[in-house]
Amino acid sequence: MPVIELSYSHLQKLVGKVTKKQISDFLPFLGLDIESENKDLVRIEYSPNRPDYSTDFGIALGLQGLLGIKTGAIKLKIKKSNKYPISVKSGVSKIRPFVTGIIAKNGKIDDKTIKQLMTMQEDLHFGIGRKRRKSSIGIHDLDKISFPLVFTTTNRHHKFTPLNSDKDLSISEILINTDVGKNYGDILGNASQVPIILDSNQQIISFPPIINAAVTTVTTKTKNLFVEVTGMNKDDTEDMLSVVAIILQSVGFTLESVKISGTKNSSPKFEPRKMIVDSSLINQTLGLNLTMSKIILSLKKSRLDAFSKGTNIICTIPSYRFDIFGSMDLVEEVALGYGIQNLEPTLSPSQTIGQTNTVSLQLKLLDQTMIGLGYLEALNSSLTSKRVLYDMTCRNTSKIFSVLDSKSLEHTILRDAILPGLLENISKNIHESYPQKIFETGTVFSIGNPISEKVSFSSISAHKDANFTEMKSILQSSLKTGFGIKIETKTTTHPTFEEGHCATVILNGVSIGVIGKINSKIIKNYKIRVPVVGFEISLSESIFNFKN
Amino acid sequence: MSQVFHDIEKKIITSLKDNPKQTPETLEKSTNLSPDQIRRGVEWLKLKNLAIVNESKTNVISLGKNGIESFQKGLPEKRLLDLLKNGPKKLSDLQKELGLVFGPAIGLSRKNNWIESSSEQISLKNPPSEFPGEKTLKQIGNNKLLENDIDKNNLLMLLKRPDFIIKDILKSKEVTLTDSAKSIIFSSSSGAIDVEAKVPEIFVARTHPLKDTIDEIREIFVTLGFSEIIGNMTQSSFWNFDALFTPQDHPARELQDTFYVDGVLTKKIATPEQIRRVSESHKKNWRYYWDINEARKMVLRTHTTCVTIKHLAENKPDEAQFFSLGRVFRNEKVSYKHLVEFNQIEGVVVGKNANLRNLMGIQREFYKRIGITKIKFWPTFFPYTEPSLQTMVYNEQLGKWIELFGMGIFRPEVTKPLGITKPVLAWGGGIERIAMLKYGLDDVREFYNNNLGWLRSVTKCQ
Repeated sequence: MPVIELSYSHLQKLVGKVTKKQISDFLPFLGLDIESENKDLVRIEYSPNRPDYSTDFGIALGLQGLLGIKTGAIKLKIKKSNKYPISVKSGVSKIRPFVTGIIAKNGKIDDKTIKQLMTMQEDLHFGIGRKRRKSSIGIHDLDKISFPLVFTTTNRHHKFTPLNSDKDLSISEILINTDVGKNYGDILGNASQVPIILDSNQQIISFPPIINAAVTTVTTKTKNLFVEVTGMNKDDTEDMLSVVAIILQSVGFTLESVKISGTKNSSPKFEPRKMIVDSSLINQTLGLNLTMSKIILSLKKSRLDAFSKGTNIICTIPSYRFDIFGSMDLVEEVALGYGIQNLEPTLSPSQTIGQTNTVSLQLKLLDQTMIGLGYLEALNSSLTSKRVLYDMTCRNTSKIFSVLDSKSLEHTILRDAILPGLLENISKNIHESYPQKIFETGTVFSIGNPISEKVSFSSISAHKDANFTEMKSILQSSLKTGFGIKIETKTTTHPTFEEGHCATVILNGVSIGVIGKINSKIIKNYKIRVPVVGFEISLSESIFNFKN
Repeated sequence: MSQVFHDIEKKIITSLKDNPKQTPETLEKSTNLSPDQIRRGVEWLKLKNLAIVNESKTNVISLGKNGIESFQKGLPEKRLLDLLKNGPKKLSDLQKELGLVFGPAIGLSRKNNWIESSSEQISLKNPPSEFPGEKTLKQIGNNKLLENDIDKNNLLMLLKRPDFIIKDILKSKEVTLTDSAKSIIFSSSSGAIDVEAKVPEIFVARTHPLKDTIDEIREIFVTLGFSEIIGNMTQSSFWNFDALFTPQDHPARELQDTFYVDGVLTKKIATPEQIRRVSESHKKNWRYYWDINEARKMVLRTHTTCVTIKHLAENKPDEAQFFSLGRVFRNEKVSYKHLVEFNQIEGVVVGKNANLRNLMGIQREFYKRIGITKIKFWPTFFPYTEPSLQTMVYNEQLGKWIELFGMGIFRPEVTKPLGITKPVLAWGGGIERIAMLKYGLDDVREFYNNNLGWLRSVTKCQ
């Protein structure tokens, strides 16, 4: 989840009559987690579904509502204008078909605000923009641009000076040599043409979704802004633009419209949506009995507008609240406006009877049996490594079951056996007193389509007198006491075990596992100083079925 | 006196009653015990305030190389004077006879006026009746003597002569009984043992501490009327993500967060109806191209919710309470607070009257049963629940609020396409976090280290 750093004093200024404590008390009830605090600074984690909370301007709007300072929906005030036309050429339709935009005038922006706008832009790019693939934003100094603009395409040799550079680079050079080019270039694929926005002087002002031109760089001297959003879907671009618009309005800019025409494109409307929700759904879902006026007040505290009609609530949702999909989202808005802290937990008497799953129950009984035999329970990860599973134990690697791109080298392969992990455990405990007797039950995997998952049971004993007979006695007793079944052992060979001290475990004529003295080579690999014996059997196909 | 004594203690006390001041060495002889037994026995008695051990340092005198030679052959000056008894002798002859001690012998004898020399001859003058130091030399002989037992002036004189005397410091212990020990009378019931003594440690065989926590949590939910369901750890992306309204381009689905199984696309993921309706819900609400092959990719489940939703979709109960408990996986860097594989509990309530306050009530009841009473609820966000909350619990040891279970009501965008018509309350969270609080651990990896030292020592009932 994204994290932003804010200042309490600035929030206080934006919210109005409010103490620092009130702010820190109420932030969590907006769904914002306080990560850390340091005097005036506070680090906040916000949910990706609320990109309007990526700046303190957006958070201030939410706090005003919750604290009852200002409630109801925030209206975008956009002055209609014909001075800012953008036409879209058909060439973009296969690469990045949509553009939208807005003009913001007469704002004051200091370094902090620029930094916040950049953070918001990056968070929008990462979240709803899906790393710029779905939609991306460019923010420009309006006074450096001469309208009308054209959203069109150009070839990869076209040169311009990109943001944060002092010389002309070709599109290809930008894609190959700059960080943003390397990170996002693949969005454009291999097409020879790329999207650009040109102004009436034929200068490139933006190369979406990669980079803006240096000429329109926003500084603290900038007074007027032009914001463009390009993307793959008209609604997505307008959603993203509406978040930027509401924030810029809160910063103090006056907004003016941009006129868009051309293939499939049109000017953004920023129209609020209307949604109807039945008050009984609200009360039933929350377990409350709120009056219509209380529901309306709660929605207003969540910065929405609402009125009642019969038992229905008709709700007006500003365009930047595209996180609201349907009526259940409005129920949540009521809960937030009402205050989660005001919801009293209740326990309704249960009519159902609880039951432990049979497999859990049987494993628990097996655990108890093994403990009675003096064995300690171990727990290992099912995602482990080639070293533990195969290399150290000399096992056949032909059916190795790996996962993709693990961040941890020790966790790359799903185990097909438990015993190797137990040997690893013993090897890490050579300084502890002997005898060491441990067991584990758990899932083992084998690759295929479908993938098989089985419950396996393994145990080992390590001490100076450890021998085959001891281990067979343990296996025999545990299965007899645990499940009332008898097994036999037949000579076999297995790379993990010493030849002549290894047997396959047989139940009703079917092999269910292997038992024996661990191969001296493995003992040496692990630098274990005492003999080790062990077994592993499958419970899934044999014992559990046998029981059922 | 009802005290019970070890045989060693008894022997030492008895010996000291006969002979009140003894060194450990003399005790060894008098009791026939080994030096180690004496050392331990005396230590025990000291701890019980029955014996006093005085440690002292004394200077011990013995003869050095020249001292031993003089003791065996006589002092150099005596040897010189003996040679002159029968009349004067030539200087060179004397030198030959006396060798290395010639110099000191002549020097000392001249200084004391015992001899006189004329031209090449040395002759007696006033020989002494007794040589200074000779008696002391004989007194020491081959022995080690305490410095205090030797005549001071004589010793001082010998000390001045090179390599005559060796001075050592001797540490010695003297054991005596305290008054209370002197009054001890040993009873005749000699079979009694020291029941207060330390005994060897035996390690108990036991279930794993984390397993204990899992069992405890399972039992709480069963007694609250919930039934346990189990499901596979490998799941199709369809049930792990798509069915839970997580769009295919959502960051959580990327390789860097989720473990994908190498090379397995599952053939049958769900019924055609389920696939059609889930994909429609995605297309309508998330506005993107939904790809069935993306849904076929097998993952290691990132939560147990996939087991729950599959069960709900298959059974469509009007009223039910069940839970799922097991391992889940996240592609994270392992650290003291993150594991790639951990346990999760997840429960649901289905019922036409199920509501958010009930969901909160179940949480409060659960926490109460694991001993946590200070809790509060905060709003949060999950892709598949609406409204969504998280529990914060107060930890006294850490002095702060900790996030535990997340919860919410399954979104209609999740339930409707799967034909689930009644509200579904759902909650879940990691078990290791709870177990860490229970066992006071600050490194979650400890649960999977299988360190016998820890497993053998950690208290079962916390």
